[in-house]
Amino acid sequence: MKRRWPVIGMLGIWIAVTSTAYAADAPCPKPSAAGNGQVQAVMAAIKALEKTLTADQRASLERPFVRESAIRWSNLPVGIVPRTGLRLGDLDEKQNFAARRVAAAALSACGLLMLDEIRIADNFLKGLDERKIGWDGGNYFLSVLGTPSERKPWMLQIGGHHLAYNFTFNGGREGATPLFFGSEPIIFNMGDTEFEPLATQSAAMATLARALSNHPEAKLSGTFTDVVKGVVVVPVPEKLPTGGTDTGFPHTYPTGTADRGVLYRALAPDAQALVRAAIESFASLPGAAITQPLVAAYESPAALAETYLGYSGQPDLSEEGSYVRIDGPRIWMELVVQRAVANKSKLHFHALWRDKLSDYGGEIGH
Amino acid sequence: MTSRAATMFALLCAAGCGLALAHSSPTSLVKLDFLAHAVRAEVLVPESELAFATAAERAAEPFADYLQRHLSAETPQGAAWKMEVHSVRSTTYLEHAYLSAQVEFTPPPGVSTRAFVLVDDAVTHEVRNHVVIVLARGAASPEFLGALQYPARRLTIQWSATASQK
Repeated sequence: MKRRWPVIGMLGIWIAVTSTAYAADAPCPKPSAAGNGQVQAVMAAIKALEKTLTADQRASLERPFVRESAIRWSNLPVGIVPRTGLRLGDLDEKQNFAARRVAAAALSACGLLMLDEIRIADNFLKGLDERKIGWDGGNYFLSVLGTPSERKPWMLQIGGHHLAYNFTFNGGREGATPLFFGSEPIIFNMGDTEFEPLATQSAAMATLARALSNHPEAKLSGTFTDVVKGVVVVPVPEKLPTGGTDTGFPHTYPTGTADRGVLYRALAPDAQALVRAAIESFASLPGAAITQPLVAAYESPAALAETYLGYSGQPDLSEEGSYVRIDGPRIWMELVVQRAVANKSKLHFHALWRDKLSDYGGEIGH
Repeated sequence: MTSRAATMFALLCAAGCGLALAHSSPTSLVKLDFLAHAVRAEVLVPESELAFATAAERAAEPFADYLQRHLSAETPQGAAWKMEVHSVRSTTYLEHAYLSAQVEFTPPPGVSTRAFVLVDDAVTHEVRNHVVIVLARGAASPEFLGALQYPARRLTIQWSATASQK
């Protein structure tokens, strides 16, 4: 029987194995080559991980690449939406090293840092988890859907509360999305260290929104209490809810010109640069091989010309309901400010990146 | 390991977790019960999201009256069904306050209760992320019929008892 390491040790090792990622303490505005996302590197890391696992653990890691598995991600804690996959909090030292190498192969330094800091945020919340809803940095999962291959489609999922990385390799289209990330608290201290997991992305979106506030047509109608194309929870009176996963996929998106915001081409060059910076702040999370084809598509002159930028609420994201969105021929990026759950006097972020054509690599239908 | 990584080493901690209820932006639920002469609906609307919708309209009427303006049923050809709100009560679900309304839709004479268009924008006319889940009360478990999110406000219902029992 394998020894279960104390979680503090396990996750410390989780971080130590690729500590070079933390050379990127500075903001991560650009797609990074630190973790390149090359399919061969990710496959090799998965193969090495599998060698460290028991048969039961391998069974939990591997799932079929079918719709039901692919859409099984959520922003919600595991107490609301139980996850399947290899639970990172259950791994021993050797397994942790191997699992982190998988994440490091698929993610950029920024994406790896995001994973770590969101897990730390959950550990911050753990002390406030009086209702035992599963806030816990150990409650993050790694799954491989299908058989890793250099040619055939398969997926790597890494996620838990407030994080869902869904990478599809060899799909009919590029496979960086859906990609959900969020943070509660927005900023917090643990020990002597201050953490702000979404600092780069929220700053980029707030800077963009402030520029958009000069354009009346950029103001979106209505109220936003969450991201628009996120997961859906189905209430079941007297019982626990169902759903909470991406059951709404494939989604429909706004069409036409009304109430979508201001067009990129109507912005001044400095504001246009802020749009690209905001795109890259989200797109910097996956490894370069995963994300760069999409950034190239989103930032092509033709795509940018048809990209709308909209906001609601306070452009500086200082109030609940503040919202910023990038809505182009393919790109859908949104960030919203919600009331915090653990401390109602505070706020928290939800953010979502979808691709209207290539969520799940274009491999998953109805 | 950098100093930041060392700090993370010290901070990532803690034990297992339990099961309980928690947050997310609450959805609306319309649960339909298909009778021979009418369709009965249990309509659950989260008060937090409803408040944005009523504020946007400056609506101050009772919820039953508000529903009359935002919830309806009609034949696929557009003929209105009669709608009655029998009762409204407050309830709590997943730590969110909800209003629960018992509603009955009656089709025109001779029209089947199994096929109609449900129209609902009680919250979605204002709250852009809000979703209305529509279920049929099944023999064993509810059957998912569809969902509405802005700008959609009309859902075509085609229900068969056989299908619901699958």
